[in-house]
This record gives sequence, structure tokens and C-alpha cells, in this order.
Amino acid sequence: MKRVFRIAVWTIVAVVGAGALAKIALHRGEPINAMWFVLAAVGCYLIAFRFYSAFLAARLLVLDDTRATPAERLDDGRDFVPTNKWVLFGHHFAAIAGPGPLVGPTLAAQFGYLPGTLWLIAGAIFAGCVQDFVILLFSIRRNGKSLGEMAREEVSRRGGFIAQIAVLAIMVILLGVVALVIVNALKSSPWATFTLAMTIPIAMLVGLYLRFVRPGRVLEASLLGVALVFFVVVAGQWVAESPSWAAAFTFSGVALTCALIAYGFAASALPVWLLLAPRDYLSAFIKAGAICCLAAGILFVRPNILMPPLTTFIDGNGPVFSGKIFPFCFITIACGAVSGFHSLISSGTTPKMILREGHARMIGYGAMLLESFVGVMAMVAACAMSPGVYFAINSPAGIVGSSAEAAAHAISGWGYALTASTMTDLARSVGETTLLNRAGGAPSLAVGMAQIFSSSIGGPRLLSIWYHFAIMFEALFILTVLDAGTRVGRFMIQELGGRVWKPFARTSWVPGMLIASALIVGMWGYFLYAGVVDPLGGINSLWPLFGIANQLLAAVALVVATTILIKMGRLRWLWVTVVPMIWLVIVTMTASYQKIFSANPRIGFLCFAQTLGTQILAGKIPPEKLADTRRIIFNQRLDAMVTAVLALMILVLIAEAIVQWYLLLSKRKPATLHETPYVATAWGENYSGLAHGDD
Amino acid sequence: MLQKTRDNSLRPLRRALRLLWRGVREWCGDAAYEQYLRSRATQAPTEAHLSAEEFYVERVNRRYSRPNRCC
Repeated sequence: MKRVFRIAVWTIVAVVGAGALAKIALHRGEPINAMWFVLAAVGCYLIAFRFYSAFLAARLLVLDDTRATPAERLDDGRDFVPTNKWVLFGHHFAAIAGPGPLVGPTLAAQFGYLPGTLWLIAGAIFAGCVQDFVILLFSIRRNGKSLGEMAREEVSRRGGFIAQIAVLAIMVILLGVVALVIVNALKSSPWATFTLAMTIPIAMLVGLYLRFVRPGRVLEASLLGVALVFFVVVAGQWVAESPSWAAAFTFSGVALTCALIAYGFAASALPVWLLLAPRDYLSAFIKAGAICCLAAGILFVRPNILMPPLTTFIDGNGPVFSGKIFPFCFITIACGAVSGFHSLISSGTTPKMILREGHARMIGYGAMLLESFVGVMAMVAACAMSPGVYFAINSPAGIVGSSAEAAAHAISGWGYALTASTMTDLARSVGETTLLNRAGGAPSLAVGMAQIFSSSIGGPRLLSIWYHFAIMFEALFILTVLDAGTRVGRFMIQELGGRVWKPFARTSWVPGMLIASALIVGMWGYFLYAGVVDPLGGINSLWPLFGIANQLLAAVALVVATTILIKMGRLRWLWVTVVPMIWLVIVTMTASYQKIFSANPRIGFLCFAQTLGTQILAGKIPPEKLADTRRIIFNQRLDAMVTAVLALMILVLIAEAIVQWYLLLSKRKPATLHETPYVATAWGENYSGLAHGDD
Repeated sequence: MLQKTRDNSLRPLRRALRLLWRGVREWCGDAAYEQYLRSRATQAPTEAHLSAEEFYVERVNRRYSRPNRCC
């Protein structure tokens, strides 16, 4: 009876999920309701989790709950801390969910809602979750080794080195592009700039409290900080309304770039407890709250989706970023479907805290499903606003012009009705002077979120508060990625430098620290600057570069996983990692090739450089812009080179891995796994990690 | 704590709330020092342990020297 009931429930889930998916895919004409997106996504996730992840756990990875995890064997109360399954789920999710799944789908909405939504769901189920899950388990079985260490041990020394360089490269590009997203959201917005600037002293206050007043009492200190952050969001309005204060907090893109670079350097060099850690605590709470609010808002308001399923821009001429749906939709979505960066969290941090191998299914596979859902919600928020407004916010000035009239004319010409007054009214109602040319996804997502929130609480009167709340939320945790990433990048540079000259690797050595900090900040700062001065809006060149780097790292993780699976003799199920790996390689290689060699100057870096070069020779560039144009040419060539080097490195790694696979499969080389030997767990079946001790 | 509430009819609710509270504290790192002391007590009871302040500074230093936030 129970069995029949269970079959009935899962059949209903499957039918509802498939039905909603079909509705989204085949719907034409009138606006479709956002609930169909939620139903389709949740139905697919439940089925995938119940069946596919169970298959992976039982057949591919053979999770063993009787095997003691590193947290049990090596418990030191610091890194190796046995942690309750749901607490660790929250931990892992907070670590993997960053700005990527919010920005990527928002940008990809220019193709219409359909391609992005389908890839968010399918990509997570068959690639992203699989990657996170297998890497998590392999790291658990190796005492929490990092991806680079696993690549070195299981593939080859060179493989490990390539993985390490790839991680550093993607870090630099990632930091450059997320900083650009902040700059585009803050430029000439005194309200948002004031709010974000105030979070720095607030974080320091929280840091001092946590260090000296009540050491380590994170909860109370963060709640105090969150209350102050809410206050400065509201106070930003007073700043924006006062002419003298507003002028003091109005900055151009270049000025913000310099400020961010100085901030990044300070965050990397200052003690962690003063700025970085407290800001991260604040951002974790606000992130959790904002994501819950967004979900509740979508369920409560159930907005209609105004964006068509497919726009004309699938042909590659999109204003937000250029390039055809294949491969650029996949490159742009990146994190919400499959993110190589997650393999760094899945190896290293989370595996040291997991209680049982069986929990890896919920934490590895499940947390990524939730991240994909965040991506779907971002897609809904972006597509729920009128397409004309969406394009006006996200298109660079070089394409639609910088005045509301010009933008309205250009965008209406594409078939998306927009009047100039719509944009000026909207800007005024969210407390901004202009919303035009704010490429990067953050402002359009904030408008989407604000519209959803204000239709549940407060009405149009609170639109500006909600907008600035959303901007603050995005900017705050992008800034967290920026300073945490800068610091980690600094350690990576010090470690790499230590190979050449030993003292450089000593993290406490001040000159080494300063040089490494300056190097990492200089590298991402350069990409940021290049993006800010780019006439096509830097997102057009930087976001695809970031997507390529991120997806390449995912390919690296899947190559490492495949090698380990071959050594484990799981040949029958090898397609589980090989198919997504091949897909990622095809997508990234096609995208890299097009970004470098395409004959369309808006896609190809080299072609754009050449076009500008020809214009200089023909004397079409006014003399005062000559230096700028030369710099843009150099930047385009640099981007082309970075793309080429990344792609080449991955090809070398794959060639290396294929040689290993051949040697292993033909038995020319013994399959030596570097797993830690089996130790039986001493914990009873019901031990949950939360049950002992009292508070 | 648990004994006191045993005869109460609201026990399941209280238990759920207490678990939630404990979960939130562990999630955000509020309970990290208690976990550390508990772990030291069972793993190395004879060794000296860090003070709350030393532990906090050491913990954040270790935590932010490897990738812990994603894109």
C-alpha cells in the first residue's frame, strides 16, 4: 500500500513537472505566469534528486555510511568539524551561491525566457549537480584535498599545475567582471554609493565587536550589523535628496574603479577579523534573507512574464552581449547551471565537515539544485519587467545612445515598445537620475525584484527603497566575493611565487604580502578598468570571458572526476561525467574560437581591434580619442590572448588525461587510487551532529 | 534543559525551535568556539586550548585563506 502511494506521488510530481515544462516551452502569445516556471523547475529538481542522484549515490559513487569521514577521524574542532547535515547544507549553499546565478540568467534573458530557463534546469541536473557531488565525494575520500591536489595525484603533476593556474586565471577574470557589475550599478547613483560605502565602517564596527567585546558571538554582532545596513539603505534616500551630499557621493565609473581597487588592496592586506570576516557574516545573513524574500515575493505576486520565449537576438546581434544562442547562452548562464568554481568549495572546505558519506547527496547534489533555482528566480525577475525596459537598462550607450529619447527610439525600432518617459519615470520612482546603460544585470534584477516586492508590500511608494535594498544586497555580496577572492588570489600568487623563491610563500612576510596583494589587485583592476572604458560596455567582452573560464574549470573538475572513476573501475557509468565534460569542452572551445577569431567586430576580439586600427589609419578617429582607441585595441588583443591561453591550457590537460585514460584502460599502468583506507565509523546510526551537548 | 520540558505538551514544538536555533548558531559560526572546546575535550583533553578571542582570530584567518565564496 505504502509502495503504491509512493509511486502515485512521484508520478504526480513527474506529470506536473513535465506538464509545466511543456507549457513554458510551447506557450506562445499571451504572457505566461511565473508559477509555471516554479512548477517546472521544482518538479524537475524533485525527480532528478529522487532518481538521478539516488542512482549516482548507489551505482556510480557507492556512498558508504559505515565509512568514517575525515570530520570524524581527524576532528580538530577547527577545519575538521563534524557538522549536522542541514547546517552543512546551509553552509555549503551560502558558499556556492554568489552573484553568478543572479547576473548570468539576467543577461541571458536577452534571448527570451526559454533557452536560459531550459539550460538552468537541464544543466544543473546533468552537469552542475553531478560535478559538485562527485568532486565532494572524491575529496571526502581524500581527507578534504583540494581540486588542484587531486588533479596532481590522480592525473599528473602537470595536470595539477594547470588546474592551479586555471583557478588563478578564473579568479582574476571573475573579480574584474563582478567589480564591473558593481561599478555599473553605482556610477552616478549617490544613494547606492552611499549605502555601499557605509557598509565598510559598519563591517569594521562588527569586526571590532567580534574581536574585543564579545569574541566570536557572530549571531548578535551580525544582527546588529544587518540592522545598521538597513538603516543606511533608508538613509541613502536623504543623501540622494540633499544636493550637497548627493554631489559628494556621485562618482564616475573611473573614480569608482579606483575606489574599488584601493578597497580590494586594503581588504587583502588588513587583518581578516577587521573587515573581511565581519562583512562576510553580514552578507551571508542578507543573502539568505534576500533569496527567501525573492522566492516568497514570486510565490505571492505570481507575476506575468512579459518577455517573449525567444527574441530576435538569438541570431547573435543582441545589444546586451553579442553572439548566437549557441554557445553564448550557455557561456552566459554559467554558474546557475554548472560552475567550475563550486569544485573548489566541494573540495577543501565542505568535505572536512561532512558527517557521513550519505550526506554528500543532499549537500553536493541538492545545494546545486537550489542554486539553479535561484537562477530561475533571477530569470523570472528579469523577464517579468517589460522587455523594452529590460533592454534600456542593459544596453550600452554605444548601441542605444545615452539619452532616454535615443534609447526609446532604438529599442522601439527592435519591436519592444518603449517611450522615453517610461524610463525617466521609472528612474525617478526608484530614486535614480537614470537607469540607462547599466549593463551588468544588477540594476535590472533590482528593478525586477523591486517591482515584485513593492506589489506585495508598500506599493509604488516603497519602490525606491526596495530597489536600493536589492542593489545593496547584490553589491554587498559582490564586494564580499571581491575581497575574499582578492585575499585567496594573494595566497595563490604567494604559493606560486614560493616555487621560484621560497620566502615569498611565507604569508606573514610583509613585503611578500604587499607585492602579492598589489599583483592580484593590479590584474583584476586592469580588467575592470578596461571594462569601464570599453565603448561597447565591458560586459560584452568580460562576461563571456568569465563564463569561458568558469566552464573550463568545470571541464577540469570533470576530467579529474572521470580519471578517478576509471581508476575505480566504474566504466559502465562513465558517461555520467564524460557527457557533460564533452559538452562543456565543445561549448567553451566554440565560444573561445568565436571570441578570438569571429569576423563580427562585436564578437571577435581581434576583429574589433582590427576595425579600430583601420579607423585610425583612415583618420576617422578624432585626435583627442586616439590614445583611448589605441588602449582599447591593446585591451582587445589582451582579451584574445587570455582566452587563447586558457583554452590551450585546458586542451593540454585533456590531452594529458586522455593519455592517462589510455594507459589505465589498456592496463599498461596500474590503477592506483589515492583514497584514504576504509575506517569504520564509531557513530551510531542516529547520530546527527546536533544531538550532543547543550546550549 | 531537555528534562525540564519533557512533561510539557509543547515539547515537540520547543524541541524543533531549539534545533532550529542551534542549527542557525552552528550555521553562522556563533557556536564555533563551543564546538572547538567540545572537540578538544574529547580529542585532546590534556592539551591547553585557545581562548575565545585567540580561537576567533585563528578561525577567521584560516577560513579566509582558501576559496570560501563563489561566484
